Amino acid sequence: MSDDLVIEAKGLTRRYGRGPTLAVDHIDLAIKKGEIFGLLGPNGAGKTTTILMVLGLTESTEGTVSVLGHDPLREPLQVKRRVGYLPDSVGFYDNLSARENLIFTARLAGIDKAEAGKRIEESMARVRLTDVLDNRVATYSRGMRQRLGLAEILMKRAEIAILDEPTSGLDPHATFEFLEMIRGLKADGVAVLVSSHALEQVQSVCDRVALFNKGKIALQGTVEELGEQVLGLRHDLLVEADGQDIAARLGKIEGVSAVEPPGSGRGLLVRADRDVTAEVVAAATRDGGRLRQIRAIEPSLQAIYNRYFEGVKDAA
Amino acid sequence: MRRALVLLVSLLSITIFPALAADPPAQPRVTGLWLITEYPSTVAKPGETTTVKLKLQNAGLAPEALALSVANVPQGWKVDILGGGQVVGAAMPAINESVTLNLRLELPANTAPGTYPVTVNAKGATNNAELKLAITVGGDVAAKLSMKTRLPALRGTPKSSFEYTFTVSNDSGKDLVVRFAADGPRGFQPTFTEAFGSNEINQIPIEAGQTKDIKVRVGLPRDVAAGDYTVKVRATAENVTAETPVTLQIVGTPTLRVSGRDGRLSGAAEAGTASPVIMIVSNEGSAVAEDIELTGTMPSGWTVEFEPKLIDKLPPGEKKEVTAQIKPTAKALAGDYIATLRAAAKAGDSASADFRVAVTTSTLWGIVGIGVIAVALLVLVGAVARFGRR
Amino acid sequence: MRREGSPFTGTGAVFAKEYADHLGSARMRVIEALVVIVGVVVVWVAMRDLKDKVTQDQFIFLRLFTYAPESNPVNFAGLLTFLIPLVAIGLGFDAINGEFNRRTMSRVLSQPIYRDALLIGKFLAGLATLATGLIALWLLVMGGGLIVLGVPPSGEEVARGLAFLVIATAYGGVWLAIAMLCSIIFRSAATSALTALGIWLFFSFLWPVIAPAIFDGILPLIAPQRVLAGSATADDVAGLLDVQQLIMRFSPTVVFQEAWLGVFSPDQFTEQQIMRIRLDPRLGHRVIPGSPLSFGQSLLMVWPQFTFMVAGAIVIFTLGYVSFQRQEVRA
Ligand SMILES: Nc1ncnc2c1ncn2[C@@H]1O[C@H](COP(=O)(O)OP(=O)(O)OP(=O)(O)O)[C@@H](O)[C@H]1O
Ligand SMILES: [Mg+2]
Repeated sequence: MSDDLVIEAKGLTRRYGRGPTLAVDHIDLAIKKGEIFGLLGPNGAGKTTTILMVLGLTESTEGTVSVLGHDPLREPLQVKRRVGYLPDSVGFYDNLSARENLIFTARLAGIDKAEAGKRIEESMARVRLTDVLDNRVATYSRGMRQRLGLAEILMKRAEIAILDEPTSGLDPHATFEFLEMIRGLKADGVAVLVSSHALEQVQSVCDRVALFNKGKIALQGTVEELGEQVLGLRHDLLVEADGQDIAARLGKIEGVSAVEPPGSGRGLLVRADRDVTAEVVAAATRDGGRLRQIRAIEPSLQAIYNRYFEGVKDAA
Repeated sequence: MRRALVLLVSLLSITIFPALAADPPAQPRVTGLWLITEYPSTVAKPGETTTVKLKLQNAGLAPEALALSVANVPQGWKVDILGGGQVVGAAMPAINESVTLNLRLELPANTAPGTYPVTVNAKGATNNAELKLAITVGGDVAAKLSMKTRLPALRGTPKSSFEYTFTVSNDSGKDLVVRFAADGPRGFQPTFTEAFGSNEINQIPIEAGQTKDIKVRVGLPRDVAAGDYTVKVRATAENVTAETPVTLQIVGTPTLRVSGRDGRLSGAAEAGTASPVIMIVSNEGSAVAEDIELTGTMPSGWTVEFEPKLIDKLPPGEKKEVTAQIKPTAKALAGDYIATLRAAAKAGDSASADFRVAVTTSTLWGIVGIGVIAVALLVLVGAVARFGRR
Repeated sequence: MRREGSPFTGTGAVFAKEYADHLGSARMRVIEALVVIVGVVVVWVAMRDLKDKVTQDQFIFLRLFTYAPESNPVNFAGLLTFLIPLVAIGLGFDAINGEFNRRTMSRVLSQPIYRDALLIGKFLAGLATLATGLIALWLLVMGGGLIVLGVPPSGEEVARGLAFLVIATAYGGVWLAIAMLCSIIFRSAATSALTALGIWLFFSFLWPVIAPAIFDGILPLIAPQRVLAGSATADDVAGLLDVQQLIMRFSPTVVFQEAWLGVFSPDQFTEQQIMRIRLDPRLGHRVIPGSPLSFGQSLLMVWPQFTFMVAGAIVIFTLGYVSFQRQEVRA
């Protein structure tokens, strides 16, 4: 096992009941230090189960996990001490204030009192909840609770943060803020394992993602790598230009397979198999044409996701 | 109306007739005047006052005043004639009547012994009467007591009661107050009562010439040895004493007593387990107790065994420790029970004592209980080992 | 599988939080109100009826706990027989499922503690809360008794009172373990509470009726031939009576009643013993009536009942423990 791997799973499997279907089916995972890793997949794909096995809250049927060099089943306390977990729709003791909730967690984590007090102030400032630190959690909105959960991870000084659908149910602004905070974690050198259905958000923060399907990891890697795998190597461009028969002109360029209006906005979507940027510029500016904008189109996770599961359905 | 009259007359005749029919008893028709006394010769003590009762009797004479006087009065005597409680000078008895008079003689202390004649006169205008008295002045009148008993010797054990009945007679001519006492060996306690009474007395008045029955009970000391003892019973009055010895013939008996060690009549026993209770048998009697058998009356289902089972000989004044192994039934409920332990000599005496036996529950159940908890804890520990630490 | 670390890591933190929660909760206010009402009523009744017996009765303070006026034959200890399970169920019915329903369970268990700590901490906190209430009530009654009766309790009375406290806490422990077991098995707090109350109703009110029926049912199987032939010896009767009592003792309520009677009535046989003497008069032969048992003897007498309750609480707790350990924590 290499030193910079914080989580390493090999052949991790979980079976519920006696049926043939596995909730998690022989997956391999390797998460590096300081990396944000995304777990994607439809409902019931096995993301939460994987997370629970990594945490040692659920026993694996087969395979091994190593978290920071420890087996979460044999040395659960070592693992839990250094890993922070924000469960799907996290709950707190409503009758207690945020501070009291965190003090309780700190006591469970074995952090001494004075230190805990300091860390609570710090982490609550980072998630911008200082004003409501002593309010009862019952008065907290969903976004505030998620942030409080994050504050708990910060307070614990976890080396790994495992976030299960942290942005579900948050408004766009709260989501944005929350993603910023996740980036902040990365800046601190914390490895982050995040599961989500919000593909755009995952794409925007994750270094690497794993695409789950029916307990298996279908795809794993950076978004570009996934794009190549699913969509093939593409060099699509978005072109906005004034001139006559721009579309026809662009279509004639060798390597361009299609020119079509984009799903939204103005301009034209030029689909190409090779890098045609130079030819497109030349073609667009010919005959007094004016090129307003030309932009390479990154493969969208949404597209990859859609394409992948379409393919899976077709295959089935 | 007529009928009522007849009834009245007949009633009257019944009442009156016997009175008319009875003749007055024939009495000698003597007439005269007499001065009389019942005891014309009496005794008087020097320095004391003696009173002689006189009677002036008029028989068939016309009443007249009779002057009273005393003649031949020795030198220094003071003499008065009293009538109706006062000094009187004359008396006047009616026809066939008498006047009671008292002659009071006050003798000086130095009156020599001897008999002095004194004459009392009653002088009237027509009749006279004269009485000659002899007053004897002598020493004291001697008191005289005697006592006797019908059963002067009794036989019994130290526990029997020795009671003697005496008849005490006052043989003197005067009333006496008689005191009683008895002399006996140390520790013998006499008590005097009237023969048919229960009040304790130590003196009693007996009139002159009378007798009284007196009972003496002699109490014995507890440790009295067998043997014959004499107690002198004494009656004393003024300066005379009557004395009779009585004999107590005491035969020895064993007297058993059962007690606990240090006077403790209690013990504890566990249900279903024999526990020793120490019992002390002592002979407080005056003879050897032989073949003392030991028995016990227990709550039902209990058993008792004695160690030793039998005491062969227990001399008087000695004691012996016996261990009674008392075993309550296994089912006995915790609480205090009475166990009676008894010692009985072959011939005669027996004694018993009630012991309070506190039945305690077996601590075995306590240990079993701890075992049960231990098993439960083991199950928990097993569960922790099997399922724990998740 | 051997795992590292002590299973008790974090027990103290859980205990402290749960105990503070219990003491600060509205439930505790209700319990306190009950405590005060019960205490005041007991002392008031005692003042009315026991005051003039002070000089006659060696154990007047114990009578505070066992005295029942004729008009309303419920005594303090009897009242507690019903109150303690209610309070224990109130404290324990949502111990575990509450964590799931608040979705705090997985967050708490992702801290470096074992589940053992959570369960044990919660159980002990419930027990401590119960004990706190009982001690408060006990002090209230003793203090009130002191004022009203005007004599101090003897050392033995205090010792017996303390023994009662321990026994009552053990009894509470049984019901707390039952309530927690329900809270582990049922995810819905309402179902859990209902089940626990159902068990309580069953053992408190139905069992005393059912037990004799069961006994009658098994009588032909266990009774010696001569009993069935109608010629039972006293030993047979006593033996069968023991069996019946044994069946009765499956109810913690019955056991607790026996225990407090034993502690509080040193000078009289317990009802059960009186019944035994009535059936087997030999047992009462040459008994010195009214001679009080020593404290040690009373303790020995109720020791089986006490151990039964402690062991029962441990076993029920273990059942809950095992089923909790087998549960998956997803929330
Ligand atoms: N206790 C259980 N018993 C049986 N099957 C279970 C159990 N828990 C989960 N599963 C099954 O395991 C599979 C994986 O569930 P998991 O919760 O890991 O999915 P997920 O990817 O987290 O889904 P979601 O996006 O909805 O959270 C599901 O098919 C689920 O039905
Ligand atoms: Mg999930």
